[in-house]
Amino acid sequence: MISFELSEEQRVAQATIGAFARSVLRPAAREADQSSRVDPATLQAIWSTEIIQAQAIEGDATTGRSPVMNALLLEELAAADATLALAAAVPMAFVQAIADQGSRRQRELLLPLFAGDRFTAAAIALMEPQFQFDVTALATSAERSGDGYLLRGRKSLVPLAGDCSHFLVVAQSDGAADAFIIPRDTAGVRVDAAKGTLGLRGLAMADVEFDGVLVPATMRLGEHNGCDVQRIVDAARTGIAAILTGMSRGVLEYCVPYLKERVVHGVPLARKQVIAFRLADMHIEVEAMRWMSWRAASELESKRPATRSAQLAYTYAATQAMSIADEGVQAFGGHGFVRAHPIEMWYRNARSLSVLEGVGGI
Amino acid sequence: MVDFSLTGADERILQAAREEAVIGHRHARYYDKHEDELPPSVFPEVADKQSPHDLALELKDQTSGPAIIDVLLHLEESYADTRLRRTRTGLGQMIVNYAGTPEQIALFGRKELSIALTEPGAGSDPAAIRGTATRDAQTGEWILNGEKIYCSGFGGADGVLVLVRGPAENGVRPFMAFVVEKGAPGLKMLGQVKKMGIRSWDTEDFVLQDCRVPEFNRIDADFKKTMIVFNGTRPMVAAFGLGVARALLDFAREKLGERGIALRYESGSALRSATQDRLLRLEALYDAALLTILRCKWLEDRDGRHSGATKVEASMAKAIGGKAARRISQECLDLLGPLALSEDFLAEKWFRDARIFDIFEGAGEINRLIVARWLLGYSARELA
Repeated sequence: MISFELSEEQRVAQATIGAFARSVLRPAAREADQSSRVDPATLQAIWSTEIIQAQAIEGDATTGRSPVMNALLLEELAAADATLALAAAVPMAFVQAIADQGSRRQRELLLPLFAGDRFTAAAIALMEPQFQFDVTALATSAERSGDGYLLRGRKSLVPLAGDCSHFLVVAQSDGAADAFIIPRDTAGVRVDAAKGTLGLRGLAMADVEFDGVLVPATMRLGEHNGCDVQRIVDAARTGIAAILTGMSRGVLEYCVPYLKERVVHGVPLARKQVIAFRLADMHIEVEAMRWMSWRAASELESKRPATRSAQLAYTYAATQAMSIADEGVQAFGGHGFVRAHPIEMWYRNARSLSVLEGVGGI
Repeated sequence: MVDFSLTGADERILQAAREEAVIGHRHARYYDKHEDELPPSVFPEVADKQSPHDLALELKDQTSGPAIIDVLLHLEESYADTRLRRTRTGLGQMIVNYAGTPEQIALFGRKELSIALTEPGAGSDPAAIRGTATRDAQTGEWILNGEKIYCSGFGGADGVLVLVRGPAENGVRPFMAFVVEKGAPGLKMLGQVKKMGIRSWDTEDFVLQDCRVPEFNRIDADFKKTMIVFNGTRPMVAAFGLGVARALLDFAREKLGERGIALRYESGSALRSATQDRLLRLEALYDAALLTILRCKWLEDRDGRHSGATKVEASMAKAIGGKAARRISQECLDLLGPLALSEDFLAEKWFRDARIFDIFEGAGEINRLIVARWLLGYSARELA
């Protein structure tokens, strides 16, 4: 039954996380960008929201992990700062994949690691250092070798790579994509130094080399049952769509008061139709992005096929968010280009976020 | 609970409408070519069949909501192109039913009444309306004068609700609404409007020349009250636009599919051809507009149709729906290439049809004004 109704619990969580994001994340955002790292206190504050730990809780959508709830909360976090929203979404994606698709043994082994009091990083390693990279054409391979697999390849843009205790590496195996749980200290794993990126700089995205890593069959996600890699991609695309929604809303909310104040040729900019209409379009698109990410999230939640709706939500949000960030810069003029305002950072973040695959699940 | 799946009853109702689309498409070219001919109120092929709207009424407790199923049904009917059953509810009648006295509702509520706002010099700016109403003190009648154009549904309707300006009060001529029935002295019909598209869409121009109506025909609906009807109809008209857009999208998918071009949602953009990528983006735009419309109609089911609460959402739905209809129709023809220009297919017709949906029932600019004023907290004076 078609419904946009949020439960009381969802509304409360939305308001709580929204307030947290405004008071804690927004003030930390510029520093994370400048220093190319998220300071431990901020990571710890994100951890204390328990949004990441919630992914390990078994149960139905009201008691356990809920993609729709995640969509709501990622939007709130990202409205303050997309980088810090991803700092939550990156380990969320890892934990979800283990919780949803891991064998019982894998769940028992790994989920307790994410139930403690300290921020614990782990990431899905999907993208590869190849121009025109596509998730359905992976160069990283896992060949059968004895009882296990031999993993070879190079993953790029792995968020928080330097802090990760584990990677979930997506690789081509027996003619299809498969996923492998790799503890960071396994022989043959090399985490490169972060080289810096256009945006989302706080995530210190880095390459990770897997140079003939021996992976026991027990560390293949789902063990002998394998896993559904597409599901991981769908969840990641939906997560990015929710984050792009929040980021775009943040741009709009930042633009409105400035444009009402800034007087040009005797009139506040916001009173000119050319500006006001752009703001109206931003609002209309933010809402549309939200409904599309909700739809994909609700399909994920009810375990229905979500590939189409996740793809459409992601593609639509990517295009709109870039355009909204772009209009944000334009509306601020020179102020949009200088680092005294967050607008230029959001512009870089928009382009970065909207091309990423496989980071941040929902 | 957030959910985007249709109920079993929703599916059944929409399926019934979808099955009729093939009949609608069969008649589409004829009424495109014979624009002065009003289609029958019921086509013989469906005369013995239950209307999907009646089925929706029958199953109303099992649907996602009356406003939601209604808008989805209208989308299907627009997809079918030719309307196989004429809707007997005009906008004028809707206004009478919420603004009229019980006596007026009893007399006019069952008649099919269009609405007439637009004049040659007044479209998006109703303040420019020049049609007048003056009172004949001796008879108590109202004398109406003016020219009204682009009046939807008036050809087949029983009458029309006209919005004109009454006698000056403190230097301002207030808006007044009157029911004018067909046959009223001084009502002169000017015939069907010659349009680029939606040629089967009954659209009349008319003149009021000293047209006399009794005081009873005056409806207590000022400008604001009249506009409330659009909160419901704007998302509806956006859905009409999406119906045409989906007809083109389906046609494009079918014809490109025959050429071996299919969409895959799994891969990223790098492995899509330019054609696949454009088609996928058009699908996304379609869905974005559809979900925006559904959100508005869901609110309407929750908060009431005539509460005025959905004004901004209605404008958002219309703005994105109008944009989607324009872009999807334009790009589909581009993707299909020169053969789509031929009248052998309906694509060229749908291209012409789609363009109106960002114009009537509030142009995109008007809807953006409404959204922007709300967003910025500006009055109509502050953001004109």
